[in-house]
Amino acid sequence: MVAGPVDQVRTLYRTLLFFAAVSVLILVAGLVEFAYFEPPGQHTGLKATIVGVYQYDPDHKTTVGTDRNSFPRTVQFAAVVDWSTLPHNVVVDARWYDGFGNVVGSVGPGTPDQLAGQTLVPVKVPSGFSHDLPGDYIFVVERYEGGLPVEVIGRRVVLVER
Amino acid sequence: MSALTAARRANPRARRPARYAVAITIAVVLSLVLVASSILNYVYLDTVAGRTSLYGLLAVALIAMGTFIGVRAAARDPALRRRDFIRAAVLLGLAALLWLLLIDVFIFTGAAGPQVAAVCALACLPTTAFGLWVIRRIDRNEKEPWRLVLVAAAWGAVVATSLVIWAESLWQDIAIRTLVPGPGFDVSTAFSAGILEELAKGAAVVLLFLVMRSEFDDVVDGIVYGAAVGLGFNFMESVAYMTNLYAIFAPDHVGGYAAGFQWYARQVLGLFFGHATYTAFVGAGVGIARQLPTTRNKLIAIAAGFIVAIAAHFSWDAWINLFPIVQNNFLILEIHLRTLIMTGPFTAAVVALLLLGLHIESQALEDQFRKEAARGSGAIMPEEVPILVSPWRRFQQRLRVLGRGGLRAYIRLARLQSAQVDLAMERWHRERQEVDTPLEAEQELRSQVISLRKQLAA
Repeated sequence: MVAGPVDQVRTLYRTLLFFAAVSVLILVAGLVEFAYFEPPGQHTGLKATIVGVYQYDPDHKTTVGTDRNSFPRTVQFAAVVDWSTLPHNVVVDARWYDGFGNVVGSVGPGTPDQLAGQTLVPVKVPSGFSHDLPGDYIFVVERYEGGLPVEVIGRRVVLVER
Repeated sequence: MSALTAARRANPRARRPARYAVAITIAVVLSLVLVASSILNYVYLDTVAGRTSLYGLLAVALIAMGTFIGVRAAARDPALRRRDFIRAAVLLGLAALLWLLLIDVFIFTGAAGPQVAAVCALACLPTTAFGLWVIRRIDRNEKEPWRLVLVAAAWGAVVATSLVIWAESLWQDIAIRTLVPGPGFDVSTAFSAGILEELAKGAAVVLLFLVMRSEFDDVVDGIVYGAAVGLGFNFMESVAYMTNLYAIFAPDHVGGYAAGFQWYARQVLGLFFGHATYTAFVGAGVGIARQLPTTRNKLIAIAAGFIVAIAAHFSWDAWINLFPIVQNNFLILEIHLRTLIMTGPFTAAVVALLLLGLHIESQALEDQFRKEAARGSGAIMPEEVPILVSPWRRFQQRLRVLGRGGLRAYIRLARLQSAQVDLAMERWHRERQEVDTPLEAEQELRSQVISLRKQLAA
């Protein structure tokens, strides 16, 4: 009995299917990573009170003016958080992220009592630069579980203008 | 097969193949998405609307002319009607491309102003052109027509970027408002880029496959078209990133450095190790599907190509932070190693498919050259077979003819060789039962080869 000629296009097809199988594993790994950092069932309904985002005077470590959603890049700014509205037994932190996803200011993590003296969370100018980089800045108050931030319980988006 | 020798089908079919209906459906869906995108542009980007209405006058004129010719075609006799409809479609297509290009220019390059945008675009043109030249050259047996390669690149640069911008913005907006910033957020963004961008780019490859079947022979052609779409997308994305980063860092006097780094990362290092690789997988899937016998297998192959493209794109975006670049003496080395480690395996995989595809194609063509020579039709002579199977020997033969008969003889021989390859390709597809054209089409190609041979001899 003589075997028929092998269709080499089938070889191509099978090779592609092998690559696709590996790719599915990559995508599944991505989903697992997403689930690890965004674990389901973590919604507690807690709400942190972000009093506002204000112009910041670094010399006197105080805020100036009214709550704003945008700032020129030459102006420093800070968020003000009221930790007293949160339960005493949760672990939380607060962070500023710049447009590139870098952390550019934070307090915590700790319990609300431990953070009571740190109501001001200013954005730090990146080293080597004279002003903040323009873009959307995200301020989040995060609840921790098992050493990882698992839930955002307060959020503000602020634009730093070009 | 090349446009040069694309023979008119001997017996036009009374009905269009079903794939045209699929192509029309895809085109209508994409058009609706683009219309929605334009409306969103108008509503949310008020500064854009005013300027595009001014600079878009040429697009408006093209639409008016295309519509006029299209309407006039309806009243014409059938012979002229087809020609007018094609003209109208070309004008409307140009208008749509021009309009989208205007929107792209304002959205992506508005940050740093037109001068910086123009410099960035000019910097990216030679590298992108080089990339297109290379991927067209690798199709050593039968190069794809420039017009289709450029259409593919234009789709990637203009249409694909327009298709994804609002979907990605919406995804990003929802992610910012719902997810914890950090690795989970990065993974979400990577899924957004991988899925949406590869679908938008891959749509071009699928449309080419459905509409230009005669120019879409196998996996090699698919990889060429896919990579061309990727290079076009990479061009526009490079310009967008360069101008954006220039605008961000210019006040600190490092805007040029930031833009230059982006240029190197995307137009040199990432020219082939990036979008070209990702979308080449879509092309590979479609190209393999072209030669599979059943609809089920075809759909699986196309889906597999998209999955690999999405995974390759996703892995770069999601896990790039696993290889942080530190400002030290090894900075340059780290940047290159990161690209090589993260995208290198995918590029190697697409090259493996390409080499295997070229090997299969070469073997098939050699087989068909011999069969046609043995047939004694006069289209291919037995002594021509060893020359036709080798692109290098074909080129040497053309050079010899150039020396003896000048440029005219060179061009005629090039046409003859091209037609002979087309004939062998048509025979290959017919033998594999992959063509929906009548047998007369093959005979017409054969007659064309014989006619070209007579012209060369004269």
